[in-house]
Amino acid sequence: MLNDIVSHINSHVSNANASLISPVEDGAGDSSILINPESVFETMKCLLTSKYNALQVISGVDYTEYIEVCYMLANFDPENPREAIIKTRLKDRENPSLDSICSLSLAANWQERECYDMLGVSFNNHPDHRRILCPDDWEGFPLRKDYKVQEVYRGMEVNPEAKMNRDDQLFGENVQKGNEEELLKRALARGL
Amino acid sequence: MQTWDMDLPELQEPETQTGEKLKSELLTVNMGPQHPATHGVLRVEIKTDSEIVAKAIPHIGYLHRCMEKHCEAIDYRGVIPFVDRLDYLAAMSQELTYSMAVEKMLGTEVPRRAVVIRTIVSELQRIASHLMAFGTYALDLGAFSPFLYAFDEREKILRLFEELSGARLLYNYFWIGGVWNDITDTQIDFVENFLDGFEKELVKYDKLVSQNRIFQERTMHVGTLSLEDAHSFGATGPVLRGSGQAWDLRKVNPYLCYDELDFEVPVGEGQRGSTVGDCYNRYYVRMLEMVESVKLVRQSIKLLEPGPIIGKVSKVIKLPKGEIYMRTECPRGELGVHLVSTGEKTPYRVKIKSPCFTHTSILPHIAPGQMIADFVASIGSIDIVLGEVDR
Repeated sequence: MLNDIVSHINSHVSNANASLISPVEDGAGDSSILINPESVFETMKCLLTSKYNALQVISGVDYTEYIEVCYMLANFDPENPREAIIKTRLKDRENPSLDSICSLSLAANWQERECYDMLGVSFNNHPDHRRILCPDDWEGFPLRKDYKVQEVYRGMEVNPEAKMNRDDQLFGENVQKGNEEELLKRALARGL
Repeated sequence: MQTWDMDLPELQEPETQTGEKLKSELLTVNMGPQHPATHGVLRVEIKTDSEIVAKAIPHIGYLHRCMEKHCEAIDYRGVIPFVDRLDYLAAMSQELTYSMAVEKMLGTEVPRRAVVIRTIVSELQRIASHLMAFGTYALDLGAFSPFLYAFDEREKILRLFEELSGARLLYNYFWIGGVWNDITDTQIDFVENFLDGFEKELVKYDKLVSQNRIFQERTMHVGTLSLEDAHSFGATGPVLRGSGQAWDLRKVNPYLCYDELDFEVPVGEGQRGSTVGDCYNRYYVRMLEMVESVKLVRQSIKLLEPGPIIGKVSKVIKLPKGEIYMRTECPRGELGVHLVSTGEKTPYRVKIKSPCFTHTSILPHIAPGQMIADFVASIGSIDIVLGEVDR
């Protein structure tokens, strides 16, 4: 099914270089299509006018070596329902940028703004390129793996020590480290 | 004798007031974030030309709780209470999507009884959520009593959920592999009694609100969204169906036991003289969906068989490497979960595709040219919950 889409993209868009990514061995989940970042606009133009009629969401993942931006497309037609994950990888972490697809889909406007807000991927030719969930003068991009919260925002201390819930934070750290003994000890101490 | 010498400017004859010299400009009005008609902390900056909206700019993020970032630091089971808090009016449906995504990655078999209980509970949740939408929508348009009728019925569902899960709003009831607590025969009797009474209530709502002349005047031909635009916005759920497309994931791509159940997909067809895609159609699709949900609950009760309610899941959940995009039909539209795993105990990334976020972005598109009061009707008709918009 996705193989057809891959050949469709490759035959219509010259520099897309589309390839199918299947789940790895001993892995699970959905397959997806990887394309060249320079060809995002042309590929989306090709797909949104033929095979799919809606852009559902733009999701982004920070893999530290590169930032991956995933476009979830769908065809909202009960006769031939389709969906696909089209992704592209951006090697540049300093100034990652892609072409905006706002002229192709009305949904793209807010989705691209969210992607910029959370991961710092900027979109060229976007009509309203602002942050959407965080305040406009917020620093950093929260969903990057190396994100550190700024200490002071407009004269206010972010995460003041007196208001932090240390238990929750230690719980999270212990889970990540796999410190089960520590977890059990703390749970027993709280009478759980 | 004192003289007054104050260098007064010479008085001028008033200029003749002509239309050309009158200044005219757009007035900026802030609606929210504490406006009761915005269903939460949504702020809409409206540029008005007298009573007509020229431009509406929604400002969101007042309820941003960094949920996606938090999920990267907790184990897979711990995420469920977080997804509860997205759409706090339909928490069961959110849990369902997330737990289905994890189960599909793990390859866990959910026992039959758990699947049927999940179907019953999520359809009851749909009724509860639509009742809230119905009640507050009538309230937005100035009718107070439908709100009380709706809450009366919703209360019964919440009481059942409280018995099932111990909580009234944020349940943590769907666990990975099944459900937490079994449903008893007394509770099933309660559900059946409730459905019998509720069908009569639905007829009453229809007479009280749907056929009400004032309500129809307020909602018909207002805030029309064409099917083409609905597709382009990626709209789903009652908004897409109100624009005339019979798209329902329960029918197109059945999950749980929807493939064994018989139900219709209500579509906005311009009922009672309205335009397809207007506020009335979106509202009416929800009312018809409640009728279908009643049918679905009745049929799934018959499928209940004794058996285990939770499948075999290891104590510490470790997902295989890979990613998944799972979506289900929630009361407000399609909720999607993009889950990325790198084989650790915690998710690498959880991205929530929220239907309310998508639908809020429709507002600037349908607002220009509307009266301010009609804009309130438009916000109510897309039925947003800000917890899900901001995450």
